[in-house]
Amino acid sequence: MAEMLEHAEQIAEELISETKRDFLKILTAMSGLVGLGALAWPLVSALGPDADSAAAGQMIVDVAGIPENSAIRVVWQGLPVYIRKLTKQQMADNQFVVPSALPDPADYTSRVKPGYESYVVVVGLNTGTPCELEGNAPSDPRGPFDGWLCPCDGSVYDPLGRVRGGPAPRNLAIPRFTFLNAAQIQFG
Amino acid sequence: MSENVKQSWSATRLPAFSQWWARSKAPTYAPDGPYLAALPALITGLLILLTLSGLVLAVYYNPSHPFASLQFIAWNVANGWLVRGFHATGTTILFGTIYLFLFRGIATRAYKAPGELAWFATVALYALLLLTAWLGQTLTGGGAAYWSLKNAAQAAGLLGGAPGAVATWFFGGPAGHGTLARLVVFHIALALLAFALLWLYRAAAKPAAPIATGAKPVAFFPYYIAQYFAAFAILALIFSVFLFFAPHFGENPLDLVAGSDLVVPTTITPPWYLVPLAAMSGLFTSPAGAIWVVVAALAVLFALPWLDRSGPRTRHGGWYRFFAVLLALDILGLSLAGAAGPSLITAILTILFTFWYFLHFLVLTPLVTALEAE
Amino acid sequence: MRRLFAAALALGFATAGAAQADDTLSPLHFQSQGVFGSYDKAALQRGFLVYETNCAACHALNALHYRDLEGLGLTPDEVAGIAASVKLADGSPATLDSRFKDPHAKATTFGGAEPPDLSNIVNARPGGLEYIYNYLTGYVPAPDGVTLLPGRNYNLAFPGNQTAMPAPLKGNDVTYADGTAATLPQEAQDVTAFLAWTADPNLDARREIGIRAVMFLVFLSIIAIANKRKTWRETV
Repeated sequence: MAEMLEHAEQIAEELISETKRDFLKILTAMSGLVGLGALAWPLVSALGPDADSAAAGQMIVDVAGIPENSAIRVVWQGLPVYIRKLTKQQMADNQFVVPSALPDPADYTSRVKPGYESYVVVVGLNTGTPCELEGNAPSDPRGPFDGWLCPCDGSVYDPLGRVRGGPAPRNLAIPRFTFLNAAQIQFG
Repeated sequence: MSENVKQSWSATRLPAFSQWWARSKAPTYAPDGPYLAALPALITGLLILLTLSGLVLAVYYNPSHPFASLQFIAWNVANGWLVRGFHATGTTILFGTIYLFLFRGIATRAYKAPGELAWFATVALYALLLLTAWLGQTLTGGGAAYWSLKNAAQAAGLLGGAPGAVATWFFGGPAGHGTLARLVVFHIALALLAFALLWLYRAAAKPAAPIATGAKPVAFFPYYIAQYFAAFAILALIFSVFLFFAPHFGENPLDLVAGSDLVVPTTITPPWYLVPLAAMSGLFTSPAGAIWVVVAALAVLFALPWLDRSGPRTRHGGWYRFFAVLLALDILGLSLAGAAGPSLITAILTILFTFWYFLHFLVLTPLVTALEAE
Repeated sequence: MRRLFAAALALGFATAGAAQADDTLSPLHFQSQGVFGSYDKAALQRGFLVYETNCAACHALNALHYRDLEGLGLTPDEVAGIAASVKLADGSPATLDSRFKDPHAKATTFGGAEPPDLSNIVNARPGGLEYIYNYLTGYVPAPDGVTLLPGRNYNLAFPGNQTAMPAPLKGNDVTYADGTAATLPQEAQDVTAFLAWTADPNLDARREIGIRAVMFLVFLSIIAIANKRKTWRETV
């Protein structure tokens, strides 16, 4: 009995000294990792975009002045981007189109930002033969869906930028952007 | 059971790794190594930091507008000023550790057989890093750097014969628009060569490390890992004090502005780690003389294994240690005299200190070690 | 022009809380000097106003973009307003991401002395901050017996005493939004503080991060040494 107690005490002492050493070792190792991370962080972050490149990539555009049923053209990252304000009729016509009926299925909510459904922002390049599309001004030829028309291969798009006819396989690309407020969008 | 399975997986596919792991756990080290034994590891760590920060700087560096591109980094790159600080302070701390390492090698007679190759690798590493650091300074395009490069390229053109040909080849002709672009590449290439020298040092130093007899040997892991970690922590502390509170330590103030042809400095003081050798070479007016004295200063370091006349079983003598400390003070005196600018007093002191440097190696070392030999 | 800047800075001070400049002129001392000093943002903003009003017509600040002015403690809207009030060479207003307007002042206007870029001027002149302050406040009439060369002005601090730059400050050249009296020494001190910032904008961040890093590393060194001692005690 006394032997068992002694044995138990020995094991307990070993365990305690083990845990004591482990605690300091773990604390030291973790602090060392924190220090290494703090050392590595500036090196990694410095490789990201510098302020000039970030500015070029995060262009801000005023959209409050766009008249309904017309679009403006801006250039972002070398790409032409069209920002169009839809009329209520165009929104109603296109809101309930069944996506599976489209050549490239996409429903209405995936083409616009929530809360700003009257604005459509697309890259103005045809997804078939890459030409710039026509249809920004109301007087431009827009094709049968009142959206955009490609002068090269005749593909037609609806006002939300979804392909509706012609050889183009996909809907118009949507760039990365957010609405800063009702009047400004920021790309990037 | 799974331990064995794991080991045999890596043992059959990557035997070097499992061999290294087994070596780390094998008790082959003396149990009471000093903290300073971590110096080669500290030097390696600093070189890695310099390489990484240098690569990040190289992404934004523009050799056609060197100073402006460094200003751009400080203003417009996220944490750019901090990365540049890593690189600049890293150089200072690296040379601090190298000088300490050289001093320790001399004081503890690490160059004696069978450690000669390791010693050669150390001195070669020192010389290589001096050249790399000087190239790095010229890349900043500061006032002193700009003129330092101009003078060096000019001197290269004036040298005759084979040295002149090599020097002209190195600079690619007189200092001009394309010089910095090629010096960036040389700077990076020499820094990578330094890793090769470090590897050579490590390969040569292992057989030279003795096991103290009568003491129970220990394994590298975890015992020396803990010590090396503590050494790294102390190094990081010293590094941070310099980085954040003395970022321009040892830098020529002229380098804080862009170099131009319109502002000619009367004297060009190199960064602090180059000042001892520059002070020696400044005693000679001809480029050939200046180069020869630097070569001689490095040659006596290389020749230490033969200059030391003590036998293989000499106890570390008190007089030798005393003279080693005197040598360190002599180098310090050379630095102060060199940094103080040209005057009669500094010229006299520089002559005295240079004379003592060569006296130490060529006369005192053989004498004292022979006298203290058993 | 001045009213626009005063308005922009007034906005800044209204939000930040007005700070009158104390008399720190005697002895001359800048808050950023010393091991733990930091920039006096109010002085930096006043100094920027002096620069824009009196110096920007001839001296460039090529290392800066307008967005960098947020480092003075101004809000992004204020900085956008300052940028918008600057007309670039092609007539369009500057944006946040334009470089500072370079006035391209000709050396011929000043007898061969081209007005230097001020981004790094405190490092380019021996004597640094004190020299710039003494230079700006050192314009005096030439003493008797000294003949001024044509196109030169007498300055106490300039080496050789005859500088090509006409006195830029006369006192009360600007109206400070925080109500500080715009005396000549005050303007000189503020613009010198601003130029100290353009030469070393990261000073505040460096020292702030530095204190935290050193404290962490002291802690790490202590526990690392303790861990080493404990680990070694287990061996023998």
